[in-house]
Amino acid sequence: MTSKYQLRYPAGVVESPVISRTVIETGVMLNILRANVDYGEAMLIVDILGDRKDQKRVVDYLKGEGVEVNKLEKNIRNNPERCVDCGACIALCPTDAISFSDDHSIKLNGDKCIRCGMCVDACPLRAMEIVRV
Amino acid sequence: MKTIEEINERIKKGEAVVVRADEMPEIYEENPRRAAKEVDIVTTGTFGAMCSSGAILNFGHSDPPIKMQRVWLNNVEAYHGIAAVDAYLGATQLSEDRGIEYGGAHVIEDLVKGREINLRSIAHRTDCYPKERIETTITLEDMNQAYLLNPRNCYQKYNAAANSTEDMIRTYMGSLLPNIGNVNFSGTGEISPLNNDPEYKTIGIGTRIFLCGAQGYVIGEGTQHSPKTGQGNLSVRGNLKDMQPEFMAGATIPGYGVSLFVGIGIPIPVLDEEIAKSTAVRNRDLTVSILDYGIPRRTRNVLGEVSYEELFSGKININGKKVKTGSQSSIKVSRRIMETLGQWIEDREFFLSRPVENLPLDSEVRPMRVKEETRFVADIMTKKAVTAKQRDSLKRVSELMVENRIDQMPVVDSDDRLIGIVTTWDITRALARGEKKLPEIMTRKVIISRRDEPIDAVTRKLDKNNISSTPVVDENNRVIGIITMADIIHRGVSR
Repeated sequence: MTSKYQLRYPAGVVESPVISRTVIETGVMLNILRANVDYGEAMLIVDILGDRKDQKRVVDYLKGEGVEVNKLEKNIRNNPERCVDCGACIALCPTDAISFSDDHSIKLNGDKCIRCGMCVDACPLRAMEIVRV
Repeated sequence: MKTIEEINERIKKGEAVVVRADEMPEIYEENPRRAAKEVDIVTTGTFGAMCSSGAILNFGHSDPPIKMQRVWLNNVEAYHGIAAVDAYLGATQLSEDRGIEYGGAHVIEDLVKGREINLRSIAHRTDCYPKERIETTITLEDMNQAYLLNPRNCYQKYNAAANSTEDMIRTYMGSLLPNIGNVNFSGTGEISPLNNDPEYKTIGIGTRIFLCGAQGYVIGEGTQHSPKTGQGNLSVRGNLKDMQPEFMAGATIPGYGVSLFVGIGIPIPVLDEEIAKSTAVRNRDLTVSILDYGIPRRTRNVLGEVSYEELFSGKININGKKVKTGSQSSIKVSRRIMETLGQWIEDREFFLSRPVENLPLDSEVRPMRVKEETRFVADIMTKKAVTAKQRDSLKRVSELMVENRIDQMPVVDSDDRLIGIVTTWDITRALARGEKKLPEIMTRKVIISRRDEPIDAVTRKLDKNNISSTPVVDENNRVIGIITMADIIHRGVSR
């Protein structure tokens, strides 16, 4: 079992090896899916590879280190007023989070989404949006 | 054998048998003869971006009147080189303040949604039209006439697109990932109108159709109609005032421009067994070429042939690699179009029309005659590029730059193969940071050109990447020259 989380590092935490320490201390594996690291702050999307208990341990540890942690569930939304179910977003999604259902509607699998924004950019109808955490 | 008049009689009596194009293959294969006899109409549909679209609008006269010279609708300019208050609003025309996020297609959508549109116009005064400028708001209802008039819609089939280069490119076929990372295609395959009547036996000038939720007409073959290569298309017209927003939409093709999603449904009368057979076409029988859009030339390399069945499956095989496919047309809306058209017929609101003239079967697209010779990289590149070896010291590199009055140099290995590029900025930064070795400071991902690329393609590349030159390499990645913006300007090549 895995779940995705968004981690935000405030200034000061960026410089320290938080992820490595978290893995060593908790013994739970983390898979980094996306990382935007800048001078003042950093944003990471990680998969925590463990059951609910493991995930809670990792989250608690990270919070103790001063990292803001948000579980990612929905992630993307297609505005039904604009979406025409064309599928221009599907092939650009790097994690197969978007597909067609049997009736050719756009089907979103938020669990797989890493919030990269490729679909938002690609949508000709401007129907896609990243859901705020 | 049936006639259109007989089918219309059956519609009138509520007896016409209508099926969707995707239902027909099974019906036909079960018993071709009975299918031809019992099915009266096959409905077809497509919904996708069709750039060659636009609207003819008549605004009515102001008092005192104006002979409009230029006119903008929500800041999108419409063509006004016709009578005083007539205009043609092209779907792809960009807004003057919002770029590709809003254009003619979005204005058309806003009109159909009943929204108020800002109208601004300037004119030259005449004795009969003394007014010089006007600014007001109008709605679709206020206009005398407003109809969609699309020069090229409803392609029979269209090639699929991929990109073999190392950078993502933005095209009218959508965003194409590097190294053939995706394949984009358009069209609806077996339910697409012209695929169900590929010889245009029943579709011609005057054929009544479903156009964006209204009853419209085919008014002729479209521009670049090319039946010989299986790429026929239609020119259509319909009343904007009768159209429904769910069957049209303004679209932004990212990094490319604006287009209009147009919904078209055409009823195919099953007059005989031949027509029944053509309406029984399946996605697996319809193939298209995958073209390499990485090369911005008129003739593009073919990467393979693929059927619509494979394209709709979501993944195809190119040279042993699984590649995801992305559609630019909506099957869901196309299906709704077929169903709506079927419902109209059932409700006796829609009758078939016999074409007054058939569409040509023998035309094909010819290229543009261009008097100016196309110039290529090989014509103007600097053939003796000054290069650096990766073991060269920064001092040596700086000396070479000063001697040759250049501000960047390709870095090559012992076989002259390109491995990086170094600029004066890299050297300045190296000095500031105390870095000493060329491999540490050079850029490894180099934008390159090839000898046979047209200059216009290189100019676009320089612009897009905000660089002033690129090394020219041969097929073995050996540096054979360099081409700079200065070469392009000084050697008299137009931009």
